[in-house]
Amino acid sequence: MRITIKKLTVQYTEDDHSLLALDRVNLTLAPGRITALVGESGSGKTTLGKAIMGLLPDNAKVKGEIFLDQDNLLAFDEARMTPIRWAKAAMVFQNGAANLNPVHRLKHQVAEPLIQRGTPKKQALELAETRLKAMGLARELADRYPHELSGGQVQRGLLAMGLILDPPLLILDEPTAALDAVTKSFVADVIQQCRAQNKSILLITHDLDLAGALADDIAVLYLGQVMEHLPGRDLLEHPAHPYTLALARAFPTMDAVRDLGGIRGDAFYRMVHAHAADNGHTHVHTHVAAPDAFHQGGHAPPEGCLFQPRCTQAIPACSLGSVAMEITPEGDHRVRCLRGGIAQALHFEQVTKSYGKITALYPTDLTLMAGEVFCLVGETGSGKTTLAMIAAGAVSPDQGTRFFQGRDMDLWMKKDAAALASRIGIIYQNPAESVSHRLTVFEIVAEPLRIHNTVRDESALADRVKAALSDVHLSCAPEFLKRYPHELNMGAIQRVCLARALVHEPDLLVADEPTSALDPSVQAKVLKMLLTLQIEKGVTLLFVTHNIGLARKVADRIGVMSGGRIIETGPAARIINHPAHEYTRTLIRSAQGLIRPRAPVSSSV
Amino acid sequence: MHLDAGQKIRTDPWFLTGAALLGLLFCLAVFGPVLMPWDPYDTSFIPLDPPSARHWLGINDGGMDIFAELLSGLRHTLIFGLTAASAGLVLGSVTGLFAAWQGGWVDQILMRLADIVLAIPSVMILILLAAFFQPPPWVLALTLAALTWPTTARGIRAQALTLKHGLHIQAARHMGGSSRYIIFRHLMPELFPLYLINFAAKLRMAVFMEASLAFLGLFDPSLKSLGLMISFALKYYYMDIWAHWLMPPVLLLSFLIMGTTFVTISLERVFDPRLKSAL
Repeated sequence: MRITIKKLTVQYTEDDHSLLALDRVNLTLAPGRITALVGESGSGKTTLGKAIMGLLPDNAKVKGEIFLDQDNLLAFDEARMTPIRWAKAAMVFQNGAANLNPVHRLKHQVAEPLIQRGTPKKQALELAETRLKAMGLARELADRYPHELSGGQVQRGLLAMGLILDPPLLILDEPTAALDAVTKSFVADVIQQCRAQNKSILLITHDLDLAGALADDIAVLYLGQVMEHLPGRDLLEHPAHPYTLALARAFPTMDAVRDLGGIRGDAFYRMVHAHAADNGHTHVHTHVAAPDAFHQGGHAPPEGCLFQPRCTQAIPACSLGSVAMEITPEGDHRVRCLRGGIAQALHFEQVTKSYGKITALYPTDLTLMAGEVFCLVGETGSGKTTLAMIAAGAVSPDQGTRFFQGRDMDLWMKKDAAALASRIGIIYQNPAESVSHRLTVFEIVAEPLRIHNTVRDESALADRVKAALSDVHLSCAPEFLKRYPHELNMGAIQRVCLARALVHEPDLLVADEPTSALDPSVQAKVLKMLLTLQIEKGVTLLFVTHNIGLARKVADRIGVMSGGRIIETGPAARIINHPAHEYTRTLIRSAQGLIRPRAPVSSSV
Repeated sequence: MHLDAGQKIRTDPWFLTGAALLGLLFCLAVFGPVLMPWDPYDTSFIPLDPPSARHWLGINDGGMDIFAELLSGLRHTLIFGLTAASAGLVLGSVTGLFAAWQGGWVDQILMRLADIVLAIPSVMILILLAAFFQPPPWVLALTLAALTWPTTARGIRAQALTLKHGLHIQAARHMGGSSRYIIFRHLMPELFPLYLINFAAKLRMAVFMEASLAFLGLFDPSLKSLGLMISFALKYYYMDIWAHWLMPPVLLLSFLIMGTTFVTISLERVFDPRLKSAL
């Protein structure tokens, strides 16, 4: 049975305003395939499931079409929907226990759809018991009341109930949210069996691990819009939309080695409201965030990409017009992104650098995606700093081309070096030396703003400086602003440097061993702050370190350098867990303190 | 660091002594001729009159009040010294900074030029110039500056080169700061101690040079200067004039040179880390 959803729009009306839950969603569920819907809470996942089942509340206004093979379900009335439910399409809801009747035993409730359709009671109960047993629920559990069961048992009971009439379409809403890992893998097996029975399955979940492992296709929903359609295997490894990447980064998979990062900003419901504009027309439009007040007139409907305020690679064009789904160059993803998916922040082609007779960098290719944290790891003298400084525009390569945000960096530099520099922030290895001892904390942080003459007004400048300082959790008190660097400890100076690097809101931050001058406890604090700011500001981070243990906690991707070459690049988890190059293995082993044991001393005693 | 330096110099006895001496001499030079009732060019007194209540240091062979002449001489000597020192400092600093910042062949040419100038004996040039052309003192002061800038230029260049590759200046460049911004905002202020040291050293040298030239009789004898006074007084060394005529200019000149020397020593000790460790 094939479900084809076309331009499905659902709007909930409450009192004087409405919320847009789904916005022209297209989706196909095919037999023998698992389609997963992922996205943050409030993105409209459950609404989509309920819409298929015809279970939306009365205040929902539905537009578009949902075809069950050839029939448009939205045109069906309640009488025609009833035979479809359970028999053709079943939905397993989240919050298990709340969906069961507390005064009936589990097996009675599981058998209910059968009994209603005329199966003799005894036979129905027997079948229910068999199905429950297949779900790992023994007879005595099947006899219990819902409140006598654990959350996991209830969830499996509900799954048994959904499958009792063997429907060709199964909608699972967060089937594993309340489950422990063992039960979860059991449920995953059940879902896979259903796929083997050629059922069409819609899996609504937060669990990206589950979605990635089970789903054939995945649709990523954000505020009611599908942001990306992608094959399941690509969800964690090769997402194409910045939102998918951000989701993947926020999810605690077993493979994830770096500390979890959230997604900057917050998603709101899309509020629909109408008001008169200056030109006399009435605008009906949605706001991603709740509008400041009931504004009367004046502004045109907000435009552009919904994700743009939280995106790490938004360009001015992203806030204009509407963004359509487009096929990525590889062809297996469809993304709703003006920039064609995750953009390249930095791209090197065959870049080389030598100092006299010493070759610091052999021809090297490197690509940094917007918003990611890329770690360059290697021992001292491996060319890490040279590469990082070439990326920062501080060192010119001998050969090769480098692109920053799609533009040739060297041409850009010739044309307007200051404009390029203003988009890149640098943190240096030695914080104390990277600030002038003659300048106060205020002047140090204000320096980039003064150089680029961004803020002409002195009080606005002070505000920017104070905001940058409070971002790095430093005091904004006048006494502190007047301090000189030598009055501060290393950690505080490095935080001042971080504030200085970020005060101009750069797109790329190059951090060269930013914590090597700090002791471990201060290092931990500064790193945590750096990563939080990286997410909040949506800045791409090139992090250079000799410490692979540190890189492991920081990086989305790691590049291992040795002797002026990048010898291995890949997702941090893969580099750490399955290093391909011998040198990487050595690096990890030495970091673990497993130094090659000495040959046993032949004793003469 | 710089705050420590400020603190340290304020409590350094060398600096305090030198500064007190110089301060006193500057006050004498600035206000002395105003307070003095006698015009140093007035020749209407009795020549070689010994000291009296009216003329504290007596009258010289030309019938002028020696005390008035002394203060005027001090003033002229100082003006000569300050002119030569300022001009030399500016010339040297600008050259040194420019050479360091530009680097490459500009640096090479300027530094070779400095080597050449450094090889010229400045005393000889000044003596020849003064003897043949009898130029006014300011021409001699500027000539002296033109001959002594290389020492300053070298010092400034060396320090500027170190600073130029310093991380915080690199950082300012990476931030997109223009050369102009970095030179005016970072380099020039950071070289401040060097200006002081060089200025004091040059002042000492110029004062000494002026006295020498005047003593050799290469100055216009109608002018006033400490060196000239010594030179004139020495013509009457067989008379009993040393206490009131010869000694005062010698003492003032010595104090002037001592003051600048003390200040230079103190500044170098506080600001120059290499000397700091040596002492």
